[in-house]
Amino acid sequence: MEQYQSIFDIIGPIMIGPSSSHTAGALAIGHVAYQLFNGQPEKVTIHYYESFAATHRGHGTDFAIVAGILGLGYSDFKIVSSVKLAQERGIHVNFIEESQASPIGHPNTAFIEMTGSQKKLMVGGCSVGGGKIEIRQLLYHNCQIKINGFLPFALCPLDPQYLKVQQQVWKKIGLIRQIKIFHQQSAAVAVLFLSRNPTAAESQHLQQILPQITILQG
Amino acid sequence: MYKTIKDLVTSCQQQQKPIWQIVLAAEQEQTEASETEIWQQLAKRYEVMQAAIRRATTGDGVYSPTGLTGGEALKIKKYRASQPTLAGGALLQAVENAVATNEVNAAMGKICATPTAGSSGTVPGVLFYLKDRLQLKQDQRLKFLLTSGAIGLIIANNAMIAGATGGCQAEVGSASAMAAAAAVEAAGGTAEQSSQAVAIAMSNLLGLVCDPIAGLVEIPCVKRNAIGAVNAIIAADLALAGCISKIPADEVIGAMADIGRKLPREVRETGLGGLAGTPTGQQIQIKIFGKKLD
Repeated sequence: MEQYQSIFDIIGPIMIGPSSSHTAGALAIGHVAYQLFNGQPEKVTIHYYESFAATHRGHGTDFAIVAGILGLGYSDFKIVSSVKLAQERGIHVNFIEESQASPIGHPNTAFIEMTGSQKKLMVGGCSVGGGKIEIRQLLYHNCQIKINGFLPFALCPLDPQYLKVQQQVWKKIGLIRQIKIFHQQSAAVAVLFLSRNPTAAESQHLQQILPQITILQG
Repeated sequence: MYKTIKDLVTSCQQQQKPIWQIVLAAEQEQTEASETEIWQQLAKRYEVMQAAIRRATTGDGVYSPTGLTGGEALKIKKYRASQPTLAGGALLQAVENAVATNEVNAAMGKICATPTAGSSGTVPGVLFYLKDRLQLKQDQRLKFLLTSGAIGLIIANNAMIAGATGGCQAEVGSASAMAAAAAVEAAGGTAEQSSQAVAIAMSNLLGLVCDPIAGLVEIPCVKRNAIGAVNAIIAADLALAGCISKIPADEVIGAMADIGRKLPREVRETGLGGLAGTPTGQQIQIKIFGKKLD
């Protein structure tokens, strides 16, 4: 499947400057963390690698990634003051410039660690250009997930009790082009790769039948 | 979805349709969006582009927070209005539009990435120049965006569009190729001529490195977009004149990807090599951030 699917991946996004990969892409990685954490974190640690480590200050990557974590949109003028906004909400944010190569093999890499209310999330993503991102590593619902994954995809924690039902439901969803299941001791998470972004109605339908699903739009 | 420029041109020839029409159908099929939604999305992006150009070319102009860039779109505007210029006032309008857009981007203003923010001035630079030059109607302006998007999509999927992975040739080079193809179509050229324009525009910018001073999308990005826009117009004119690139567009895109992979990391958006590594580039960086990046 092609990484860039829509002409609006190219003519877009509409965004606050200055860099689509270091600002808009960083915001998108932050936004994935925001959707998966689903609540306000107490502490956020952001690890930058390679080009992100070298130029994050010049490109406004810090405020962009935090804006994503706070759930702000690409063209929201508040994104410039997001770090202050996070502090005001009592979120402790830390930026670390890592000197080693990206663990996921891309020059524009950020790893976001979020903790709070007994939850822990880690999102390892890279910004591939024009605001598009890939998520290649996750710690989600205590599961280590390694994927070769560009958006859109959905994550769904597995419930052993309903596993059969869940699998039957998945089979009926034409949007799903591939399913990968990750186990870690008692926890398990399914990654559902989608062939395109679901429409609003399709998203709503998915949420109804799989209440625990998180759909990450591309 | 068309995967290569050759595929796209073949579809145009077989169906006897312009590129924008093939792309519109493919976009509907791919995203399940309605035709109306697509036109609305395009119009929204067009408005953002127009607003950015207006912002930097009226009043006192726009300046970045670092003070490194800004105010030059306004200088170009005054210059071309007040005297005969070397390039001609009309062509300099494309330069003015491109510089204006990237000044707004550097100032953390609102822009539309085409295909990236760093290269966001090139496509609007050409589009708003042709709008006046060819008296393009609103629908033709949006078709220009469709066609340039189609070329960008093929480049992005076969090569790269990020400075960090492929250098500036992947950003301004791609943007220039996109604008060149759309310019040919806007002027009434064929899909084959658009593909020639892609090959010529991209060939001219091969090897261009990404070496922003202090890692900021300001120097040399703002003026590189001026070159990207003018290069696109010249490539389009060459193609319309019947000039041919001996190397087909898809192979030129392949060469861009190959060069991109071979570029050292110092000149792939790390703020280390090229202009960023010059004594003055380093001084600017120390002045802004207080330390060297290593």
